[in-house]
Amino acid sequence: MKLTIIRAGGIAGIVARTELDQQALPKSAAKDFAGEVSRARLSDQPPPPPDVPRPDTQLYELNLEWTGREVTARYTDDSLPEDVRLLVAWVDSRPERVESIEL
Amino acid sequence: MGATRKPTRCSIAPPDLLGRLAVEGTPEQREAATCALATSAAMRSQRAVMGQLGRRLNIRTGSLAGATLETGERLSVYDNQTQGRQFLPGVLVRGWEAPAVVDTSVNQAYDGSNATYEFYRDQFGRSSLDGVGMELVSTVHYGVGFDNAFWDGSQMVYGDGSGRIFKIGALTSAIDVIAHELTHGVTEFTAGLVYSKQSGALNESFSDVFGSLVKQHSLNQTAAEASWLIGEGILVPELGAALRSMIHPGTAYSGDRQPGNMAEYVNLPDNNDPRNDNGGVHINSGIPNRAFALAAIALGGHAWEKAGRIWYEVLTTRLRPTTQFDAAAHATIDVAGMIFGEAEQVAVHNAWKEVGVLS
Ligand SMILES: [Zn+2]
Repeated sequence: MKLTIIRAGGIAGIVARTELDQQALPKSAAKDFAGEVSRARLSDQPPPPPDVPRPDTQLYELNLEWTGREVTARYTDDSLPEDVRLLVAWVDSRPERVESIEL
Repeated sequence: MGATRKPTRCSIAPPDLLGRLAVEGTPEQREAATCALATSAAMRSQRAVMGQLGRRLNIRTGSLAGATLETGERLSVYDNQTQGRQFLPGVLVRGWEAPAVVDTSVNQAYDGSNATYEFYRDQFGRSSLDGVGMELVSTVHYGVGFDNAFWDGSQMVYGDGSGRIFKIGALTSAIDVIAHELTHGVTEFTAGLVYSKQSGALNESFSDVFGSLVKQHSLNQTAAEASWLIGEGILVPELGAALRSMIHPGTAYSGDRQPGNMAEYVNLPDNNDPRNDNGGVHINSGIPNRAFALAAIALGGHAWEKAGRIWYEVLTTRLRPTTQFDAAAHATIDVAGMIFGEAEQVAVHNAWKEVGVLS
């Protein structure tokens, strides 16, 4: 299972990518990761984006790949569900994550 | 307060009914109910409720005839204590005319908002973002390691930065970034430029223009002396020196894709993909940014005296929400002639020619 988080928009318009592969995690953390992912319910219909986009709002895309399947969900900072925010924060706290800037 | 509103729109009704209408009613009922809720309780305690209601319903509570935000105070700063969106604005840490506090971010947000407020007042006779004295509310320490600062439709919000994109603490340190964000509020209350493709790039460019002017004014720089950089020194050094260069678009940091000429316009779709930036609003703003910097340098002296006057007049009186680059360019030429004269008109026209928007 691999999660890719894209954070873009914002005042800079920079596209930042954060990846975390479950295989890179120690056993107990891998289990926690699965729990965080399942709680975030990325397969659910995401909340609709605002009718009027707000300037410099941070935009999110989360892509989850597992056993040949994948799901992609997009959110704005306004619409990001709390459990997705917690998943992002959990990934940000893991030293195994891989960060890059998309150019 | 609220004196210019039609009396029928702010009716008196029980709060529970108003609350239900504000969520479930028709758009007109929602606006009227929100307005009534706003005016029926003390401003200070209502702020968090109104902000959250506005975000939830996707309406601009700040634009409801100043019903929520005209408090008679110029500005105030709150601490989100890293708790995120559900805890906006947070805890009041420095009210208007209160002395500086220990927290540098609070003081920077206070001083930057104040400098922006005074710039608009002294240079253009504008009373705050809405023109009628709206209080400038700022919240610092939003979220955890959050790499952004933004105007949310009713207040300013600053993250601390993660140290991976923005230096920690840097988002409140750049006065041009603060003025950039507050100018999004001015644009919202005036031209209302739609945040997509060319009109969105114009929206971004006006924020960079007045962001840079507030900084130049604070340093008393002439157009020739200015760096024309936006957000200098706030990115981590590995990424680069600044977010954008108005005079040399595309050179500010290692991933800077801004064009400085219409021939290199980046035609991205506005399709909800975060990579496409609402149709390239932070990318193609390089073209009108460079036109402004060239015009300001050609006009000489302090950029806010002539070029800034022209661009302000255009932003607040000449644009429609869907205005494109060429129409904005013609408006600046027109206004240059109206306020100043033929020489200024020629200088502005030449700037737009140099960036390939006009021939
Ligand atoms: Zn902006």
